[in-house]
Amino acid sequence: MGFDLNSFLAFIIFGVTIGVVYGIVALGISLIYSGLDIVHFAHGEMYMFGAFFGLVLADNVGLPYPVALVGAMIITAIVGMSVERVFYRRLTRAGGGYTVAGMGMIICGFGMSVAMVNVAYFIWGAEAEPFRANLDYIPRLQFPGDIEVPESYVLTAIISVILMIGLHYFLRYTKPGLAVRAVAHNKDIAYLMGINVPLMISLIFGVACALAAAAGVLIGPMQSVQVEMGYLMLMKAFAAAVVGGFGSLPGAIIGGIMVGVFENLGAAYISASHKDIYAFLLLILVLMVKPSGLFGVEAKVKA
Amino acid sequence: MIVLSKLADLFEDLAKRHRLLPWLIAYVLLLPLPFVLAGLFNEYLIDLVNRICLFILLAVGLNIVKGFCGQVTVGHIGLYAIGAVTSAVLSLEPGGFGGALGFGWPVWLSIPTAVLVTAFAGLIIGLPSVRLQGAYLALATLGLGESVRIFIAVTPALGSSTGLMMIPAPSVGSFTLDSFTSYYYIVMTAALLGIYFSFSILRSATGRAFQAIREDTTAAAVNGINVIQYKLLAFVFSAVYAGLAGALFAHMQPGYLHHNNFTVIEMVTLLLMVVLGGIGNVWGGVIGAIVVAIAYDQTKDLVFYFMDRPIVIQPLVFGLSMVLLVMFMPRGIGGWIEDFQRNRRFIRRSEERLSGSTRNT
Repeated sequence: MGFDLNSFLAFIIFGVTIGVVYGIVALGISLIYSGLDIVHFAHGEMYMFGAFFGLVLADNVGLPYPVALVGAMIITAIVGMSVERVFYRRLTRAGGGYTVAGMGMIICGFGMSVAMVNVAYFIWGAEAEPFRANLDYIPRLQFPGDIEVPESYVLTAIISVILMIGLHYFLRYTKPGLAVRAVAHNKDIAYLMGINVPLMISLIFGVACALAAAAGVLIGPMQSVQVEMGYLMLMKAFAAAVVGGFGSLPGAIIGGIMVGVFENLGAAYISASHKDIYAFLLLILVLMVKPSGLFGVEAKVKA
Repeated sequence: MIVLSKLADLFEDLAKRHRLLPWLIAYVLLLPLPFVLAGLFNEYLIDLVNRICLFILLAVGLNIVKGFCGQVTVGHIGLYAIGAVTSAVLSLEPGGFGGALGFGWPVWLSIPTAVLVTAFAGLIIGLPSVRLQGAYLALATLGLGESVRIFIAVTPALGSSTGLMMIPAPSVGSFTLDSFTSYYYIVMTAALLGIYFSFSILRSATGRAFQAIREDTTAAAVNGINVIQYKLLAFVFSAVYAGLAGALFAHMQPGYLHHNNFTVIEMVTLLLMVVLGGIGNVWGGVIGAIVVAIAYDQTKDLVFYFMDRPIVIQPLVFGLSMVLLVMFMPRGIGGWIEDFQRNRRFIRRSEERLSGSTRNT
């Protein structure tokens, strides 16, 4: 098996597309981290819930795919905000003085993730369900050298770019976006400036969960939708967030693309069955060499 | 409460005479347990007790790195897996079932080797702790622990999807320790020694260094504690516990290992033990391990039907109880124990003060 430039390019293109989806989830994790100073371990489950909501809206209700995407984002945002309000808010209000030495949030998120997977079992069962979306109106992309990119990948790329631009616009040029950045920077001062901090925290959580849901709906037509999809996605999105620099939003996207490409090339040229390990390898590598990530500012450590 | 107080007094009196005395008495008291259980209930309970002992080892080990030293690790189950698989592979006969590796070492050699290998792996899992703290460390260890499991799951030489079978049981001379009762003596001894050494570590200079790092890393470093060295040491200690528990688990009959024994739900179970027990409290951890292991065993096959769909409720219950514990009882059982000890100390001091003042007048 010689080296084939065309298939190499194809691996890179598919890697980038998958990587962008990782990046979107990582964006949510980064957003929560910079806004709330917590690492959300149940974010993969938000992604899984989003995928299922999209599936239900598109296949059972019969909405067109883009509408289902938006609907899933809104529903997941509401679910996420309620989870944060009911469970996490109690811990964050403790002001970091957790009696379990800062482990409280991690353990709580971990337990929440397991609980949510099993709530999903209740509702949707264990089978993997195919996500049939009618995407005929999207053109297939034809690259030179017989590389054909399926519709769902093209759509993923387009929607991801729209989401990123939207998030950037929201954070940079709107008033609530300014408030979110103020909260992320310093909560006490944000309070003093008259910003409704609890509301902003809810907003951050909602936006992050909506992003995860979008990723779930996007990846649905490429793979199938199943209850246990959240965990691996969480790990890869974490890897992406850390590689790019935790808390840095462009870093999250670039980290996601790196993880996607790295993983696809590894699966193609080293061993396909070890595919899911490469993301962790990259993660460990980056953590050892530059813990703050490629684009991270000096790591904001919460002990 | 009064009974507990009397017991604690008795324990302290014994410990004053000789440090090892209470432990020896506990050991002797635990000796006839399998016969009592077999006589009163059934053989199966002995198996349960054996697994509780392994869980105690794991929980106590996790407590060293998490409770004493304050490093958040969620990859502990990966170390357990490394210990189990190493010992199994070393002791299996070569050319085993389904392309599994085998070296045919005697079990008494493979277990210490597995512990050493796990200690080394613990060093590697601990390496990120040199540069990372808090959430970052949790991520790194979670990734490492999970990659261990995935690696086992996809590598045929380590069992992959079929698992490792026919792992030999240890034997003394011609007597093979393959019954529940005989194996009980191995794991019970290991668990008791584990608890004892964990207290020794806590009392030693090393334990004080761990606690100093937990309270304030910078202050510890200023006071001349080699922070990197002690953090790694904590990881290695806990890895030794996990490796021993894993190796003992591998050789427990029926001698079957599957990567499903090391999934996230096992990690959640382990975390739940430490959280329920109260992070950093040894006896709390032990009680947590016992309670959660029994709950784990009882709810493992509990299935109920919802819309004609079989639902395993164990992960849901465990996950939610972990969330609720952190929210409402963050100090766990260990918190009660500490309160109890503080009250007792307070009462004794006031009694002494009272009797002292009556003598003076």
